[in-house]
Amino acid sequence: MRDSHRARVALALVSVALLAGCREAAPVAVARAIEVRAAGRAYDGAPPVIPHTLAGACVTCHDDDGSEIAGIGMAPASPHGSVAATGSFSRCRQCHVPAETSAVMVNSVFSGLPQGPWKGGRATPGAPPTIPHTLQLRENCLACHGGAASRVEIRTSHPERPRCRQCHVPESGG
Amino acid sequence: MGEIKRRTFLKMAGVAVPAVAAYSCADQEEAARLAASAEPVDRASVTWAKAPCRFCGTGCGVMVGVEKGRVVAVRGDEASPVNRGLLCVKGYHLPGLLYGEDRLQYPQLRNADGSFSRITWDAALDLIASKFKDTLAQHGPESVAVYGSGQWTVFDGYTALKWVKAGMRSNNIEPNARLCMASAVSGFMTQFQSDEPMGCYQDLDRGDDFVLWGNNMAEMHPVLFSRILETKRLKPATRIIDIATRRTPTTDYADMHVLFKPGTDLALANGILHLLVAQGRINTAFIDENVVFRRGIEDLKTIGYGCFGDQAEHYTFEDVPKPSSLEELTTFLADYTPEKVSEISGVPVPQIHGLAAIYGDLPRGTVSLWCMGVNQHVRGTWMNNLITDLHLITGKICRPGANPLSLTGQPSACGTAREVGTSSNRLPADMVVTNPEHRAEAERIWNVPPGTIPAKPGYHAVDMFRALKRGDIKAMWIQTTNPWVTLPNRSRFDRTPNDGKFIVVSDIYPTPTTAMADLILPAAAWVEREGVFGNTERRTQQWNKMVDPPGEAREDAWAIIQVAKRMGMGNLFPWPDDNWHEPMFEEYRRFGIGHGKDLAAYAQLKETRGMVWPVVNGKETFYRYTAGYDPYVKKAQGAHFYKAVGYGEKAAFWLRPYHPPAESPDKEYPFWLTTGRVLEHWHSGSMTRRIKQLHQAVPAAYLEMNRADAEEMGVKKGDQVKIVSRRGSLELVVEVDGRGHPPRGTVFVPFFDESKLINLVTLDAMDNISKQPDYKKCAIRIERV
Repeated sequence: MRDSHRARVALALVSVALLAGCREAAPVAVARAIEVRAAGRAYDGAPPVIPHTLAGACVTCHDDDGSEIAGIGMAPASPHGSVAATGSFSRCRQCHVPAETSAVMVNSVFSGLPQGPWKGGRATPGAPPTIPHTLQLRENCLACHGGAASRVEIRTSHPERPRCRQCHVPESGG
Repeated sequence: MGEIKRRTFLKMAGVAVPAVAAYSCADQEEAARLAASAEPVDRASVTWAKAPCRFCGTGCGVMVGVEKGRVVAVRGDEASPVNRGLLCVKGYHLPGLLYGEDRLQYPQLRNADGSFSRITWDAALDLIASKFKDTLAQHGPESVAVYGSGQWTVFDGYTALKWVKAGMRSNNIEPNARLCMASAVSGFMTQFQSDEPMGCYQDLDRGDDFVLWGNNMAEMHPVLFSRILETKRLKPATRIIDIATRRTPTTDYADMHVLFKPGTDLALANGILHLLVAQGRINTAFIDENVVFRRGIEDLKTIGYGCFGDQAEHYTFEDVPKPSSLEELTTFLADYTPEKVSEISGVPVPQIHGLAAIYGDLPRGTVSLWCMGVNQHVRGTWMNNLITDLHLITGKICRPGANPLSLTGQPSACGTAREVGTSSNRLPADMVVTNPEHRAEAERIWNVPPGTIPAKPGYHAVDMFRALKRGDIKAMWIQTTNPWVTLPNRSRFDRTPNDGKFIVVSDIYPTPTTAMADLILPAAAWVEREGVFGNTERRTQQWNKMVDPPGEAREDAWAIIQVAKRMGMGNLFPWPDDNWHEPMFEEYRRFGIGHGKDLAAYAQLKETRGMVWPVVNGKETFYRYTAGYDPYVKKAQGAHFYKAVGYGEKAAFWLRPYHPPAESPDKEYPFWLTTGRVLEHWHSGSMTRRIKQLHQAVPAAYLEMNRADAEEMGVKKGDQVKIVSRRGSLELVVEVDGRGHPPRGTVFVPFFDESKLINLVTLDAMDNISKQPDYKKCAIRIERV
């Protein structure tokens, strides 16, 4: 059981690496990235916690394009659609909260829905991969799949084609 | 948009530039570690089912993901008309509430030395049955009590109500909702002779102006607030008016912020009425057709505050209504000129005119929203009355997008505490024990002999705990609530175990309340059992059991039924052990059918994302008393308050004066203390503090101060200070310019933190009519430590 599990994980890591056309080092980086990503979320689909101290309005940096923060990296765009068109989503801290401490009051035995790696399926070799996650609150594909703030292994090779869902469709029940 | 921004360029360039820094050399050991720690991923094995959120009264729909018998995720339910897929940070972290390491799993009995030992359910149920039976035999029905919750499912509440009122022939049952919703209930009852709002959440989409009375909606009802923000995006002329005693995150989104001195909202509302009447901005056609005027007892000494002098032990008051008129109102309001109201409330005169212009703009849809600021108020019923008065006098009621909409704090404050009527004075579907016809109706449905239900109301919540302390109550069962954190002036209710009384506490975690118990029972929570909640907008929502509770935890209703059977009251619960939810609900439904409180059939609730009552012929009613929506309304248009038979099927406008708070700052105690919640935590924190992300966001209670006050005292953010009231004291860390900004002379402390019990400091003053305590106003001083 444990071996087959490890094999599946290894296979998944290699698949992701191949998909992204990365070098040999990629699997570790991918796995590490997944671990870091998971640390900020209770389960796959949970809103990420804010990984930095708060400084002003969120949309100053997390605007429609994402921003470069000198010496730190990129602040990704919001995946919830354009900032200007935001009504329901304009109060970021309704869902995203910072951590003031790393302590817990009581340990938890909760283990959430694991967070990948996910990989879209293909109907035929060469067919566009399906979307392996829900689109709820992820309407803006390029927030994660385009731009320098995105992770390289899930970055689109063709950002010039703006209608992602013309070719990529969500998997049912995913 | 012209030139390409630098970051856009970087973003595009980023596609082609291989990431360099992200990948270091492969580390075989780390690769192995990561591969071994990764969980097997099989999302196809996750099943998803609907449930309402376990936390506040909004009643957001969630889809609950279950894998291998455990809840592993939730999603906002896009099919839910309440939240349309969006949740707040508490909702997104719901699964964690089930999995704190210290879940109570077995019944535990207190030993003579104060420690607890595990016992069997059989032994526990036998013990409860014999203790309650003996207490009844020796001291009568007034010596037993059940203290429950607006978090009870309808099944828990109905079971407890029937056991107490029809089984033990006592009226000593109260919900913790007495501490949070009682003033809203007495507000609706005094004006419409039927509880709960006429409007619904569609008002949030359809309104033009949203007037928030003492309501930090961005934090306390975040999903509903987001719904208003969406309305504002679509209709930019929408206005949000924040009437408050401090600046909060809600204020950031407000078009107008009205800061008033604590307790003076009564004067402010009367000041608005004064201008509406003086300027003729009232809807006389609506008033003539639909409104009667009433006036109650107004003498301050007669009413009192429920906690001083001869009211310190036991508090009773009965309002005596007498007819009034629009003419009398005009005279009454002469005291409330804008200048005088400004002097009392601190609200600038132009703002009072501004508020009158909003309510007095008759075609615009105004929605008033309120919750604890108005309800936890020594004149909470009056303040509820006055807000509704503003709608009655302008005819801004029973009009989609124009309604007073009282918000609720607990997931089934409406569905269980209010609709089932789990109170010392109530029965299901708006009925009361003081009415002989109502008692007879309940006895008929319950098939118990006439005269079973006593006519005298039992103790209301605060009096119940005073009676427990005195020893008048000798056996008490507390379920799904944490009174030794949430009672005001808490130290007066403390007990030493083994004092001859018998207290059972059913909960899911150890709390300061289980610490006071003689017997602790482990409860099943949320989707560990089948349930029904009713939310703020009269929506009844059902869910199925999805996972097994841990250890031997069982649902509260089951435990009461087993005890009732052991006490020879099994006839009250004649359903098979493996199928009792649906038949129990169908029996309960009989109370409301034909009375305008018709709940949907259980089968329909199972199939839908909740149904808004009254549900007639399978159809829900979004606007009560409103022609074209409510099948009970026989008029072709307008409103018809058919439940208010005592007012000739009209609504009652109540003349209510300004009274000062029970305790105000003075030389010795110069600051106002106001208490409340924060977005991340829910009530006493027993669930949310066990959820990592929520606890880490706000790990401890704090003292929110005005910067100028802090500077004057020579303290700064992060300093430890001590706050002292006439009841008690508490050390807290100072917060300055955090999420809230109190004005000079006011401080705020959240109540979620059981290690920093602010209710040691608060005052147990009450509303005269609702018997709801005022947690929002008392006087303190701050000492440096």
